[in-house]
Amino acid sequence: MARLIAHLDLDAFYATVELQRRPELRGLPVIVSGSGPRAVVTTASYEARRFGVGSAMPTSRALRLCPDAVLVPPDFEAYRAVSQKVMTLVRGTVDVVEVLGLDEAYLDLSGMHSPKAAMRRLVTQIREQTGMSASVGIGPNTLVAKVASDAEKPRGFVVLTREEACLRFAHASPSLVPGIGAKTAEKLERLGITTLQQLAATPGEVLAQHFGGRQGPWLRSRARFEASDQITPVRVAVSESRETTFDIDVTDGEELAAALRRLSENLCDGLARHRRSGRTIAIKVRLDDWTTVTRARTVEQPTNDVEVVYDVARGLLCEYAPSRPVRLLGVRMATFADEAEDAPRPPGGQLALPW
Amino acid sequence: MKLSTTSSELLGQLQTASRVASTRSAVQALSGVQFQATADLVELRATDMEVGLRIPLAAEVEREGTAVLPARLLLDVARQLPSGSLTLELRPAEQDVEIICGPAKFHLRTLRTEDFPPLPEPGGDQIVHLPARAFTETIAKVARSASRDETRPILTGILVSASGTELRMVATDSYRLSVKETRLEVPVEAGFEANVPARALQELERIVASGAEAETIEIGVRANQVVFRAGDVVLSSRLIDGQFPNYRQLLPETYEHELNVAGDELVGVVRRISLMAQKNAPLRLSFTEGELTISAQTPDVGEASEPLPVPFTGEPFEIGFNPDFLRDGLESVESGDVVLKLISPLRPGLIEAGDGSGFLYLIMPIRLNV
Repeated sequence: MARLIAHLDLDAFYATVELQRRPELRGLPVIVSGSGPRAVVTTASYEARRFGVGSAMPTSRALRLCPDAVLVPPDFEAYRAVSQKVMTLVRGTVDVVEVLGLDEAYLDLSGMHSPKAAMRRLVTQIREQTGMSASVGIGPNTLVAKVASDAEKPRGFVVLTREEACLRFAHASPSLVPGIGAKTAEKLERLGITTLQQLAATPGEVLAQHFGGRQGPWLRSRARFEASDQITPVRVAVSESRETTFDIDVTDGEELAAALRRLSENLCDGLARHRRSGRTIAIKVRLDDWTTVTRARTVEQPTNDVEVVYDVARGLLCEYAPSRPVRLLGVRMATFADEAEDAPRPPGGQLALPW
Repeated sequence: MKLSTTSSELLGQLQTASRVASTRSAVQALSGVQFQATADLVELRATDMEVGLRIPLAAEVEREGTAVLPARLLLDVARQLPSGSLTLELRPAEQDVEIICGPAKFHLRTLRTEDFPPLPEPGGDQIVHLPARAFTETIAKVARSASRDETRPILTGILVSASGTELRMVATDSYRLSVKETRLEVPVEAGFEANVPARALQELERIVASGAEAETIEIGVRANQVVFRAGDVVLSSRLIDGQFPNYRQLLPETYEHELNVAGDELVGVVRRISLMAQKNAPLRLSFTEGELTISAQTPDVGEASEPLPVPFTGEPFEIGFNPDFLRDGLESVESGDVVLKLISPLRPGLIEAGDGSGFLYLIMPIRLNV
């Protein structure tokens, strides 16, 4: 049976949620981002993108590109709630779903009756019930689907076979393909390879010489839009972490401890909400010279108790005793307890009134 | 603008005003509190565009004017000021406000006054006067049932209606539903119905409970806005659009079991046993002939149970509830008997005040995996 995969991507998700909550910002360039000097853009509305503002760009730079942009602090609670609604609708249409984040998912449409019509209905349903607009890409594997969903954003709906994808993106830069980043693209360019077509036509051995026996052939297969046609329905996070980059590098031990406390509280809050607890507590410290270290300790009993987590984290920090000003501090929890024994009642155990 | 007041007066009023100021608005001025000083009145104003609040500040005005200061920061400052008199002066050239309290001197940069929206005046198309205590006590009964889930705006409100001699408020988060009907001694002139954000009403309740000297609350209902005035305090709020769930059709007409239980006893047991219902574990209510046993169990933590005599007859059965939801309902009954009405383990249960005081609380069970 031929495989058919869809990639569904909500358009400017965080910005759209914010616009929904604050209609007065509609039509304005909106950037969702923290406000400190080292904040980066979480997402930008299409009005802001027109100025060249993009995700993960330092906010300071985004504001230089688009000085009139309205900065909105991110509110992940709200995004999660909307995301959950969307994903519920998605699961109502498709059985096998791999949720990739709050705003995107792979859907396995293999064997589905009139899959394109079903996806169009789903997009309409999502728009009507949540106000979110989505772009959809459909193809024989995850890579084609993902690139297709991105091709005509916002509100795109692109269906491609692998061969069509190769043709359509023949002259695009290799960095169009997820997995080929700026560094690799640069290196390819030095070899005279500037398009996907060229990359696909480059013999595997040549690429292997420059990129090694694994990455070389892999790059070529990416350019030929060959990828897995299987999706992984459940993604269980293996760890959860919180980190913060200080506006000004911190030397003071008390101040570091306070930050660690806040991060621990935040982390435990999130863990408790998902009824998870873990045994391995780790800290991450980045110094002003970008030296980055992690230190971890495993405790006997799974926990999400902030006192325990903070205690261990603080101990780890004291032992490491940063020798230079600290730029970034993080706390991570891993080795989660079996979730089943953690959750005494099944989800949906609480019955609800019909509204 | 220049005025003098005391640090405790400033702190007291600021604590209220800053709760209304926005914490996450794109418009910076909304995170501020506005001082408006006119010859005979100083008012603090705050709004997050949904709820707006105007409260008086007892102060002597030396120079009239207006200024917007960051609410959070000013509150932190006010908390740390020594007690005694203070002066607060706008210095337009420096674009700041100078606060002098004893030997302490602060200069706080102002926020843009132009960005601070005008707040509604009291009054409206339709004005109703209601006794302040009856109104806020009714709020207190139902507010906990309102939803905090902002993705379902309708449920974040309390449906307030008044007509004739009846004031009614309804709130639900879809897991429970509270209805409180309060009899008014004097019939209202003109009835109204409005879905008011619960947080606005809770704020109003807090302000009145904490001593705003007001016998009556004046309520002005407009197309999409409501304005409450209690004494010198004016609280305005956007109304929530859309159809509030038709809860009446959901209240079961008949119940299998109807039990009168002493409220304080039942609350005591529920509070105790709930301690062992952690991590979302349900509270189990097992009914057998003449007895109710409440129990809870959390793996790796422990368990607890306690029996209570109740006039139960018939087939034994067991029903599960979220401990917090059950406690909220029972505590709202306050004193006297509680009437517990049940049908079966998966049907809603009803808690009523036994004294006919017009309170009822519908609660959905938790499915028990026996």
